[in-house]
Amino acid sequence: MQQSAVTVKGWADIPPAVLGRREHDDGKPSITYRSAGDRYLLVEYGPMEFDLTLNFYVHSVEAKLEEVGLDGLVETSPGFRSMLVSYDAATVKPTDLVRELDAVHDDLPGVDGLVLPSRLFRLPACFDDSQSRQAVERYARSIRPDAPNCVNDNNIDYTLQYNGLRDLDELVEHVTATDLWTGFIGFFPGLPFMFPVDPRHVLFAPKYNPTRTWTAEGAIGLGGPCYSIYPVESPGGYQLIGRTLPIFDPQQRNPIFAEDPIMVKPGDRIRFHQVSEDELLDTFARVHTGEYEYQVEDGTLDVAAHLAWSAQHREEAEEWARIRDSAAAVTEVP
Amino acid sequence: MTIEVLQPGIQTTVQDYPGRVGLMSRGFFPAGAMDHLALRLGNALVGNEPGDAALEVALGKAKLRFDRAAVVALTGATVEATVDGEPVPSWQAVEVPAGGELRLGIAKGPGFRVYIAVAGGIDVPEVFGARATYTMGALGGVEGRALRKGDVLPVGEPRRASRGSLDQSRLPAYVNEWDLEVVPGPHASEEFLAEEDVALLFTRQWTVDRNSNRTGIRLDAQRLTWARSNGGIAGGHPSNILDNGYPVGGINLNGDTPVILGPDGPTSGGFVVVAVVAHASMWKLGQMRPGADKITLRPVSVEQAQALADEQNALVEEVRAA
Repeated sequence: MQQSAVTVKGWADIPPAVLGRREHDDGKPSITYRSAGDRYLLVEYGPMEFDLTLNFYVHSVEAKLEEVGLDGLVETSPGFRSMLVSYDAATVKPTDLVRELDAVHDDLPGVDGLVLPSRLFRLPACFDDSQSRQAVERYARSIRPDAPNCVNDNNIDYTLQYNGLRDLDELVEHVTATDLWTGFIGFFPGLPFMFPVDPRHVLFAPKYNPTRTWTAEGAIGLGGPCYSIYPVESPGGYQLIGRTLPIFDPQQRNPIFAEDPIMVKPGDRIRFHQVSEDELLDTFARVHTGEYEYQVEDGTLDVAAHLAWSAQHREEAEEWARIRDSAAAVTEVP
Repeated sequence: MTIEVLQPGIQTTVQDYPGRVGLMSRGFFPAGAMDHLALRLGNALVGNEPGDAALEVALGKAKLRFDRAAVVALTGATVEATVDGEPVPSWQAVEVPAGGELRLGIAKGPGFRVYIAVAGGIDVPEVFGARATYTMGALGGVEGRALRKGDVLPVGEPRRASRGSLDQSRLPAYVNEWDLEVVPGPHASEEFLAEEDVALLFTRQWTVDRNSNRTGIRLDAQRLTWARSNGGIAGGHPSNILDNGYPVGGINLNGDTPVILGPDGPTSGGFVVVAVVAHASMWKLGQMRPGADKITLRPVSVEQAQALADEQNALVEEVRAA
């Protein structure tokens, strides 16, 4: 079809998606304001890089917006390095809201001094479990038989290949050796998007193409640098590597859900430890009878301390990244 | 007063409008009526507040018994309906006697979802601030699920007597080939899309995939040129980005497959959003027939989209005040 964009009726007369940008300064990331339909703005921070400090900054903006409350702002939905802002079109114009958001960003300090509240959950996980295999098998049979990420009816082989790992044990070692930082909650109710705090244990995986229509409750997925736990049976696009306990229960069958059916909050950390599938299923059942007590500790994440610690391990992390990236470079993408 | 479900149809749910607002950061899309215009007009016709809870009946074919005299309005997809065997019209308030049976035939199209508004509204408990059924989270409506035979639904006290009707000329147009008004999305920029991609997205006609439902409308797979060769650290495909929040009605490119996010859709994900359905046009998603209907995306500006919403709200208000 030999048509240029300007021939699309109406498109050329419509203002561009980008409503404004500001450069990074004073320990704060750059910001891009994008229009996202007739009721939303998307605010993006920094470049599209896996840099946890961008997410720490999002947490600080979110807290500030809750504190000040802007006219016409309905709700915010944070992402890894972004924030979707929903507004009431009858109260505020998007360009005015951008100006007000810009003023909020002016008033915020940089990320270095932040100390963020952060609980630590220790969760059992079984890897290469039967439910994940079933989801992959179902996908390969009914949606995409030639998907390179679903060879042998599992996503483990592909995840190993993409990251240059020898075997499942090495994968498990990486996943369980680091706390995972909950950057934000989204997708479906209570689903945490979690990122490795230790740069020496970062794994990557492309997402499904197209996505799955079914995933088991409690499945652990990896997409890009991000882990997720599926809170309900749902569609999904992350590579499935294992399964853990329920994290969402509107029936509130365990004391952990007594105050809130959503267990994990933004800023919480998760640490997995490996158990057998039998043990996991047994614990799963004990969650529902209310007998199982979730292992959770209060704590904080000190951004300056985290940055100093990461710097100490930079060389090791960079070496691991080289190995991983060279494996990814020769692996087919779905 | 109560309504007993004698025959539920393939997917009948309690829905309201605007659903659960304010929970996106916890992973909840709002749920609520997929055709919010038909729901609001139905409520207005029976004297309810426009956002009250009513029944959303996918494809029709349902049977209900009312234990006391009630006033109902059928809106949405055209359907043959009877009360105790006597045909009743859509888009106007009709009376059902005590013990009466309302029966809906199959909605043969155009249109896919029928709404049954009842004076007083469906009075199931509010969960997280709304009555809407959200099956993904198994909450709201009746136990967070589609209705089953034998369910008994509570109905609230009618607010005021109403015998409204809507002039044929004011009805929304139900068709099989839809023009869908969309506003540019956050990633409709030259960093992501090639010029020819924009031309293709907004000129070709798309088919509504049979795997379409309240979470989303899937369109045909379509390989694009893209302005970049891959998604960088977010993943290998150029449609991949580091996960961010999705707007309701966002059209994301899920690899090579565009998906329009419906009211039960995911609040975030790692795919670019190239356009967003104008809020006033979201109702059309509820009336698209899976596996059959066609869509052409029509770009409009934010201001044009908001003007459409104003016009629509005025219509609902006019019917309500009549």
